[in-house]
Amino acid sequence: MKSGFNQLLDAVVRIDVREIAFEAGSKRYAASIGSGVILSADGLVLTNAHVASSRAIELNVTLANQERVTAKLVGWDHWTDLALLRIDMAEVKRRSLKFAHADFGDSGKLYPGEVVFAVGTPYGLSRTVTRGIISNNNQYLEDLAGVNGYETGQFNTWLQTDAAINPGNSGGPLVTEDGKVIGISTRGFNGANNLGFAIPSTTAQRVVAGLVRDGAITRSYIGLVPGALQDLETFYSLALNTGVLVHSVEPGSPTAKAGLHGGDILLAIDGVKVVGRFPEELPGIQNLIASQPVGAPLKLTVKRGADTRDYTVVTEKLESRVGEEWALEKWGLSVRKISRAYAREKQLEDDSGVVVIGVQPGFPADVAGLGRGDIVMKINQQPVGSIEVIKAAQAAYEAKPAPTLFEVQRARRVSLYILKP
Amino acid sequence: MKFRFLLSALLLVPCALRAAADLPTLWAERAKSAVAVEYVTVTETERQPTISMGTVIDREGTIIMPSGSVDPRAATWQLKEFKIYLPGDPTGTPAEYLGQDAFTGWHFVRASEKIRAQLTPITAFAAKGASPVPALSDFVWGIGLRNKDEDFAPYLMQSYVALIQALPQKTAIAQQEVASPGLPAFNRDGVFLGLAQASFGQSFLQFGRGPRPVPVVLINVEESSAFMLADEIFPNLGRVPKNVSGRPLAWLGAYGLEPMDREVAKFLKLEAQSGAVVSEVLEGSPAEKAGLKDRDIILALGGKPLPQLKPDRVVVTYLEREVDRRAPGDTLALTVLRGGDRVELKVVLGEEPKILREAERKYFDRIGFTAREFVYGDAIDRHVKVADTTGVVALFVKPSSPAGVAGLRLDDWIKEIDGAEVKTFAAAIAKLGEIEKDLARAEFVLLVSRGGETAVLRVKLK
Repeated sequence: MKSGFNQLLDAVVRIDVREIAFEAGSKRYAASIGSGVILSADGLVLTNAHVASSRAIELNVTLANQERVTAKLVGWDHWTDLALLRIDMAEVKRRSLKFAHADFGDSGKLYPGEVVFAVGTPYGLSRTVTRGIISNNNQYLEDLAGVNGYETGQFNTWLQTDAAINPGNSGGPLVTEDGKVIGISTRGFNGANNLGFAIPSTTAQRVVAGLVRDGAITRSYIGLVPGALQDLETFYSLALNTGVLVHSVEPGSPTAKAGLHGGDILLAIDGVKVVGRFPEELPGIQNLIASQPVGAPLKLTVKRGADTRDYTVVTEKLESRVGEEWALEKWGLSVRKISRAYAREKQLEDDSGVVVIGVQPGFPADVAGLGRGDIVMKINQQPVGSIEVIKAAQAAYEAKPAPTLFEVQRARRVSLYILKP
Repeated sequence: MKFRFLLSALLLVPCALRAAADLPTLWAERAKSAVAVEYVTVTETERQPTISMGTVIDREGTIIMPSGSVDPRAATWQLKEFKIYLPGDPTGTPAEYLGQDAFTGWHFVRASEKIRAQLTPITAFAAKGASPVPALSDFVWGIGLRNKDEDFAPYLMQSYVALIQALPQKTAIAQQEVASPGLPAFNRDGVFLGLAQASFGQSFLQFGRGPRPVPVVLINVEESSAFMLADEIFPNLGRVPKNVSGRPLAWLGAYGLEPMDREVAKFLKLEAQSGAVVSEVLEGSPAEKAGLKDRDIILALGGKPLPQLKPDRVVVTYLEREVDRRAPGDTLALTVLRGGDRVELKVVLGEEPKILREAERKYFDRIGFTAREFVYGDAIDRHVKVADTTGVVALFVKPSSPAGVAGLRLDDWIKEIDGAEVKTFAAAIAKLGEIEKDLARAEFVLLVSRGGETAVLRVKLK
């Protein structure tokens, strides 16, 4: 083994996470283990968003020399399933701890068959190295399970490897023989053998830079869902490798407002030609849209039937469908703010209200008849515009318990419920 | 004392004997009110026979069947070959389907003349004056018919009344099953008490190999213990549909009426009454024209407060019946609660827009699916403006057919065929007809909308 590889081993860490969950009408804490890789001498650690998210309340990093040190979340990006932590450097200094850091390689130069290693903490087994090859250097994967309910995977293709990737490997590096990080081990296929997936370093480097700079990645959204043309070119009278199918347009989105609809062919974005013949080409197109400035006009060149013309859409900020969550423990009610994306998906009139994500059996919300998926629109006839409104209502209830009227929408049906002390 | 007792007993005996003939005799006479009705629903690729029970209501051979006897999605022209079987007789005679009454939900069928003499209408067993209302613990009995392979042989069921409830129709619930759904129940004297309804579900625990029993709900589809009282039946026997479509149908246009429980009523200071929340007021409906708003709470009809009924859900049935018993053009006065105010509205009921079972449809065998006309209810379901609607809906997709293989699914909304928008049902049918006939054609493309998303489907014909 080269010295680069030994240095890499000294840069891989185990991450112990304690996070809060609001699911069943109460605040609950859960512990989990993942892996990470130290990227800099000032203690930046890269891992998966499904290991460390904004729900994490306690992060502990175990260095290669088995010393344990606390860390804080710098930022996370569920769309690419990446998160960045910073080790508590004051503590490192005080305890005179030592660690190495790893360098990125270029995932764009990988070839199928190239030998790679995954390093991490599968099932809590620290400093485990597994070996395999790159099975596919540009694999397209539909969003599998999301990152704890958050969307993921639209903006990148994947490195597929047969190096064993097990739970706990998540967030650990996938490296070449010289110890260069070319990917972040992220997923395995349940029930399959040797089908592991890693986020390519080209994606990771971009996200790391953004998270260091802003603490978050800002992307643009226009509501256009691209689809691969595959062999529909003849039907649309297109030359091969021209344009991408507009598979769907999200209702109420900028693209819908501009007048586009499913079945249109998108030829260019601001004059830049797009090609979406195969599914592997779609993340690149999504990324091109996402990397436009928010609130800026974008010229879409679209072919419909025999006509080709330009449409202007104004980009919005990309938002997750998952809004802010909270547990109202007196009522045994867990809620999530309705996001614009969720409202569009469920064809709601607007993004007011909170959706019930869980109730605790025997508590007032459950007794009254509220259930998962219900949308709380009003409390005591006051619109619930934010989580703060419902928090305040519960505080009032706590101070002076009294029957409280809930207006709830369930699959377009509006019902009234009383939550009683 | 002893003598007087004996005397009165002697006086009573003969008349008691006359009124209460023995049960087998009463049963044999009254079984002539019961028939089995068989019909076939003809679909694209199948013929689905259905058997239901019906009760004779007049000397013209008119028979009523419960609302669940016919699938509401089936077009009336798909319902064919109606036949009536007399109890215990394996030969069916053709009958005519008259349609469904919206208010009672009953389906009406008319027997052919040659068997009418063998039928006895239920009105022959009506009480002389007011219809009797059974009391708790009263003895009741009724008629059941066996299955077709047993020649619909009639049999006797008997029980005692356990509960009487307004659902909102007055309904008696006996301890055990008293009649097949759709067939009559009687008292000891043979006086008609009511018609058996679809039975209620009963909860059971099922023990299997697992560590815990599994709760299951079982519904007896052949026999029922619940029967709607005669007072709810006799006044409505004249509601024979004027035509098979069941039109005219009164329409309010308040979607998603939701009941409130007593806690909510109390909170809203509605002590002795109930209310129903209007989830949405439908586009272009009489309710909209009258000024009803989303989330209004209906408190009273014609100044009469909505009653508190149990279960809470029943108040919605109550409201819907008040609309259904009226005709288009009738006025319905509503009192609603809006915010903190009471608002009085007068709704002139309209004619219900074309409903699902009336939608035009056409099956394309080579392509492998049925295109159905897009109707008002489709626009409501899909959150689109009624005026903006185009296209057709996939009503049936034949498995492994070109359309099925291309991924077309039930209820897909087809908006474009071969890249051209289909504005009307007629246009879609013309275009699909052309494609179906053109044997040289290798493929065509559909643009469908499904749950707010679109998909381009490529249908390969060769």
